[in-house]
Amino acid sequence: MVVGEIPESTGVLVIGAGPGGYVAALRAAAAGKAVTLVERDAVGGACLNVGCIPSKALIAVAERFHQAGNGATFGVRAEPELDWSALQAFLRRSVVELTAGVHQLLSSARVNVLSGTARFVSPTRVAVEGANGVRHLEFDDCILATGSRPMELAALAVDGVRVVDSTGALFLQQRPDSVAVVGGGYIGVELGTALAKLGVRVAIVERAERLLPELDASLGSVVGKRLAQLGVAVHTKRSAVGMSAEGLQLDDGVVLEAEHVVVAVGRVPNSDGLGLDHVGVRPRQDGRLEVGPDRRLARHLFAIGDLTDGPGLAHKATAEAEVAVAALCGERAIFDPTVIPAVVFSDPEIATVGLTRQQAEAAGVASRSFRFPLAANARARLDGEVGGHCEMVVDDAGTVIGVHLVGPHVSELAGEAALAIEMAATVEELTAVIHPHPTVSESLSEAGWGVMGRALHVHRLGARS
Amino acid sequence: MTLRFALPDVGEGLHEAEIVRWLVGPGDRVTRDQPLVEILTDKAQVELPSPAAGTIRLVTVPEGTIVPVGTVLVEIDPIGSAVITAVPVAAAPLSAATASEDHSAPVVAIGGAGNGARPKASPSTRRHAAQLGVDLRAVHGSGPGGRILRGDVDAVTSPMSDVAADVASPPGGQGRADLAGTHTRAAAALASGTHGLSGSPGLSGPSGSSGMSEPPRPRLAPTLGQHPVGTHPLRGIRRLTAAAMTQSWSTIPHITGMDEVDATALLDARTRLRRTLTERGDSTAAAALTPLVLLAAAVARTLRRFPLVNAAVSVDGTSVTVYDEVNLGIAVATPDGLIVPVIRHADRLDLVALATAMAAAAAAARDRTIGAEALSGGTFTITNYGALGGRFATPLILPGQAGIMGFGAMRERPVVLDGTVVARRTLPVVFSADHRIIDGDLSVAFQEAVLAAVTDPLTLLLGV
Repeated sequence: MVVGEIPESTGVLVIGAGPGGYVAALRAAAAGKAVTLVERDAVGGACLNVGCIPSKALIAVAERFHQAGNGATFGVRAEPELDWSALQAFLRRSVVELTAGVHQLLSSARVNVLSGTARFVSPTRVAVEGANGVRHLEFDDCILATGSRPMELAALAVDGVRVVDSTGALFLQQRPDSVAVVGGGYIGVELGTALAKLGVRVAIVERAERLLPELDASLGSVVGKRLAQLGVAVHTKRSAVGMSAEGLQLDDGVVLEAEHVVVAVGRVPNSDGLGLDHVGVRPRQDGRLEVGPDRRLARHLFAIGDLTDGPGLAHKATAEAEVAVAALCGERAIFDPTVIPAVVFSDPEIATVGLTRQQAEAAGVASRSFRFPLAANARARLDGEVGGHCEMVVDDAGTVIGVHLVGPHVSELAGEAALAIEMAATVEELTAVIHPHPTVSESLSEAGWGVMGRALHVHRLGARS
Repeated sequence: MTLRFALPDVGEGLHEAEIVRWLVGPGDRVTRDQPLVEILTDKAQVELPSPAAGTIRLVTVPEGTIVPVGTVLVEIDPIGSAVITAVPVAAAPLSAATASEDHSAPVVAIGGAGNGARPKASPSTRRHAAQLGVDLRAVHGSGPGGRILRGDVDAVTSPMSDVAADVASPPGGQGRADLAGTHTRAAAALASGTHGLSGSPGLSGPSGSSGMSEPPRPRLAPTLGQHPVGTHPLRGIRRLTAAAMTQSWSTIPHITGMDEVDATALLDARTRLRRTLTERGDSTAAAALTPLVLLAAAVARTLRRFPLVNAAVSVDGTSVTVYDEVNLGIAVATPDGLIVPVIRHADRLDLVALATAMAAAAAAARDRTIGAEALSGGTFTITNYGALGGRFATPLILPGQAGIMGFGAMRERPVVLDGTVVARRTLPVVFSADHRIIDGDLSVAFQEAVLAAVTDPLTLLLGV
């Protein structure tokens, strides 16, 4: 300890105020702990400030704009005009309103919010470097929730002007004519789709064989067809090798004309720079931290969210926050979900929950499935979508183990699918639940009937393998 | 034609089982009904017999794996045209889906199931199990599709549960002819880390008839404590023992009282009763009548006078259930680990009936032919750890019971009698009780009452 350091003390220290950290802080405060929440950037984390929320705002605007200009078949003729600065204002307002809400919650829960960068100086103490100097905090328990940041490519350094990351792509000063998106995962697909609908010429470059390589091919192929309709050029099995005056250079020599290049190739955990060697913790090669079932790293140290194994999703971080705080309070809590649902706000939307047939087979689980086409769902048809489907996977006892949807509004069905799987519901039970008409949710019971060989609104088309 | 033999439902409602040990390997010739593999269900260890004579082609599931019913375990190339009665592969109740609607892949997944076959239970049930320290993989699910319900979790922690009956009855009914030769081996509820009565020369042996000669030290198996260096999974009975003992140790606050009693009168009574039985020509009963039988009778009848000792605190610690029958568990050491056969209504059996029942249970346990039924429903347990030596011990109470009484090695020890030190055979007696419901006064009173019967065996004539 350096002479002159006067440590303040806190019961629970939470580092990082994203959807994992702020929830942990609120829960710990509700449990009667004295809580300090340290955030180096903005409360709300990547999710609220530069991720889920502003990107969904952009997608919502893009959808309105696109629909307005493409409604002739529905009897709507219009030539909409895009006010880019109003769009940007809407994005920022969405962020500000939601983060203000979080600030208010933290304040009324009496969580002490500190702005600055935390670094361990001993197993029970951090130094927080903020605008007004360094403060030392002695804690009883600490929860690390520092999240992740966009992965960078050596060949494509993000300069914030021509080459931007996903954050930069959301907050462009004006509408570009052309954009090349490097990375065909869900972030790249969401951004590419929205920009295309806003009238930008979009190309997507993906190293793998297909878009959305992390998802079942049947889901991505529906989205791929729609991207083609929107005029998005998709270059699979290609890598970007660098920028030139003309645009983005690919490994096959092709140069993509692009006013901006968006790098969206994944995210890396923010486990560096925390001084973890002072607490005897060493991140793995991939930057992740290995935690116990209760998210414990060491006796009084926990890690949640993008720092731990599993998908880097806000709702996973939030669920882990609940577990870590319960464990910290002495409860026997474990993070043990059967499924972590995933949604993609592509066009059409994707919701994938639980095992696919392939995953079930790899796990040694005998399974059967049925794929119900949304062309046979009234609500989906009214939205003009005929390419999507709802696939239900069950094990040999009829228990629902996977639901995979692609179609309009299907992100809203991920919750029901997750509920069914978490409760170990059987397909008979799921079909016994009355699903309201006319909604896309009917496709869940339709797929369930199909699994049982009793599909209702599907023609028997003969043998198909 | 290759025969694929899948894990059958060896007990009604069985959902999954652990592959404990393969008794055959690829290339082995097997006869029909030859044991192929030892599996462990949630209640019993079972040998699965071969459905046909033939050659083992492929073993598809490694030892230590937990697989669901219907998983193919082994492929056999049968000899000749024997009628094959193997359990149908993947007898899924819903397999009616047509090929046109069923996307891809075979219905049956082979091998390596382990991590994929997650126990089915709702989040609240999983949380409940985690809080009780119950491993859901060892719980039989009674809900739709084999879903584990909250009550199923509670049931495995209660000795009065009837879930054991699910796997208890030896198979052989309709549709299970192929399993007629199955041996159900005991594996359920496991007792304290002590030794049992099996083959014990201590209390149950022929020595000690007059107390003249010291009983020989029992021979311990030379393999005891031998294990290769490294980290190994806990399997079979060992895994169940570990779970039961962890639950006992972490949920039951134990108090253990210790005493020592002059066993001269007990041994004398045993000798005289045995002589009488022999003179009547019932040498079987005579051989079965060991000192442990008299001790079991003393414990069982004393339990009737102290209902609170024949009881259990609920899993959540908020209520006590006093049992309406006395079912006495007796810890038995087998080469595979400890098992605890239960003598039902032990308090109502006369000495000969009790002796016969105990001898049969011990033999079945040693032969591994005991059914899961005979291992469930115990309300109190005794352990004869002294059979292998040792004077005092602190046995652990079985979850779902409130006490366990242990007996140390009977030896000649100095005793003060009328102011003079004399050599007498004495019996160390220990009693572990659940302090949540049994305080020191009740513990001592119960133990004293048992000791009174040891010093005055005539009281055993009262009130069968």
